[in-house]
Amino acid sequence: MIFMRNKIASALVCIYMLVTPCHAEEIDAQKLLEQVDDNLWANTKFITGRLIIDNGRKVRTLVQDSWMEGVDRSYSHYKSPAREKGTKMLKIAGKLWMYTPRTDRKILIAGHLLRQSMMGSDLSYEDMMEDHKLSRSYSATHEGFEELSGTRCAILKLVARDKKTTYQTRKVWISPKRKTVLKEERFAKSGKLLKRIMFKDYEQIGERLFPRTMVFRDMLKENTQTTYKFDVIKFDVEIPKKYFSQSILKR
Amino acid sequence: MNWDIANKNFYRQGLRAFLNVLVTALSIIALIFMLSLLNGFQAQATRNLVSTDVGGGHYRVPGLDILTPTEWEDFTMTVPPVLASLPKTDKAEVLVQQGQLYPNRRLFPVQLRGIEMDQSLLSLPLAGLKLYDDKLRDVIPAVVGVKMARKAHLKKGDTVVLKWRDKGGAVDARDVLIVDVGDIINPRVDDGVVWLRLDHLRTMTDRENEVSWVAVREFLGPVQGFEFHGIELLMSDLLALLRQDRINSKILWGILMVLVCTSVFNTQILNIFKRQKEIGTLMALGMAPGRIVRIFTLEGVLAAFWALVLALFLGVPFFIWFQGVGFDVSHLSEASFPIRETIYPDYQPREILVSVLIVFALIIASAWVPVKKIIRLDPTLALRGRAIT
Repeated sequence: MIFMRNKIASALVCIYMLVTPCHAEEIDAQKLLEQVDDNLWANTKFITGRLIIDNGRKVRTLVQDSWMEGVDRSYSHYKSPAREKGTKMLKIAGKLWMYTPRTDRKILIAGHLLRQSMMGSDLSYEDMMEDHKLSRSYSATHEGFEELSGTRCAILKLVARDKKTTYQTRKVWISPKRKTVLKEERFAKSGKLLKRIMFKDYEQIGERLFPRTMVFRDMLKENTQTTYKFDVIKFDVEIPKKYFSQSILKR
Repeated sequence: MNWDIANKNFYRQGLRAFLNVLVTALSIIALIFMLSLLNGFQAQATRNLVSTDVGGGHYRVPGLDILTPTEWEDFTMTVPPVLASLPKTDKAEVLVQQGQLYPNRRLFPVQLRGIEMDQSLLSLPLAGLKLYDDKLRDVIPAVVGVKMARKAHLKKGDTVVLKWRDKGGAVDARDVLIVDVGDIINPRVDDGVVWLRLDHLRTMTDRENEVSWVAVREFLGPVQGFEFHGIELLMSDLLALLRQDRINSKILWGILMVLVCTSVFNTQILNIFKRQKEIGTLMALGMAPGRIVRIFTLEGVLAAFWALVLALFLGVPFFIWFQGVGFDVSHLSEASFPIRETIYPDYQPREILVSVLIVFALIIASAWVPVKKIIRLDPTLALRGRAIT
């Protein structure tokens, strides 16, 4: 009798495993987020990129070179259009200095000014400066799976560990296989969707998979989007010390 | 005797005298009108500011500057007990924060102004907000002014998204229901302002019991942690503007007075030139030159006197009529002046009296200066009409 009961139980388990394979797939959300961070993160980075700002009436393209070191330091130099040429931005810890050649002055963009739109784009200075590891700032929980552009993605809900974090909740669509983010949504405290970011054109760069294109959309605005295209990406490059000094903020 | 001679001579001048009187009378009317209109403007602006925003002054968080929106979030404090315990008729707690409204999904930076619902110190059309309780729900009730509604293309019943930051810096957004479009007489608390219940704004921004300022009926002495801003300080920009306007009006009045005095001066010069023989005869008959000067000066005084009578005759009906129709300054509200309705002149008897006396003194002086040379006149030359060439 006991033998019969064990047999039935084993059969049920086998049937369950065959019929519902996806339910059986276990995702460690936090670990997956850490793996995504590890893929994207490098001690130093150099990027030549284009920021294509479409405000619904006009499209502007800004070309910039950026050097980044860790989470605290970055330096950007705008090369075009003519109006923005020579503009420089230096981020050191929580402070951002901006130099414009037309005024020949550097301005400290701190505190609430960081929340303003950066050069009319869908990103605030704060968004642009944001370069922290998501796995450190957020607790992740797995919410399910969804097919996105032919890739099966795990949906992770991220809840901020600190009350002072700008976006208290986020949702990320991650390919568990490639450890890459395909989509991210940022929410207000109330749960209202504020921003959507699409990560596209992933390419193998060294040992990492890195998106060549990021499309930012402010979901509260209509017909606006900002596309960040990375034309050149180099990881673990040597950055001259002068790039992270205020003395670089001059003609 | 002097008076009789002066009177006869004055009337003999005919049209010349009448024109002098008319110009002087019109100048007096213009002067009183300008001063009274500025008084009316200031009184009305003060009344509007006091009733909608200033009260008897603000106890503000030190360092708060209403013209620096990026710092509003850094200057809030818990209401001190001495102010919290005031009756609702004597204080209005106000919290000001930055926000971003998205009418038609376009960004519109706004000032979020939360005010106590049961206060009666300030007069604002916020009855629509009183219908809601203190619990914050998914849709937040808000009131905007007519000007703000026009600029942001909002109307009563519209729902728009509002974005803001809480005390920690976390971003939040919800739908806002425009429960009313209020007729706010002070554009400074209308343009770019979204009015909310204070309890709602405090919950939204995690600022329990915090304020940016407390408007009070009167100064209550120093309050720990707060600084008092009186009406004059809160209206300093407007008062400076009015001061400048008064200077401008004085310049205009000065020009008018120069014209009047020139006219009187010119008349007097012409008088003594044309009446040399008369002056010579009077001197030959033994009249003292000083007395002749007094007679001629009295003629000027007569001009001033009749100008005053004519000013009364023409001015009083004009001022009464104008007090009825007023002066439309609706265009000023576009420039953020705290006046949107018609303004009415404010006549100050003391100011009018002083102004009229100044006009009198100037006319007498300009009547005397040209005739004082009679003292030095040679009677024989004057008799032949060659004393003044």
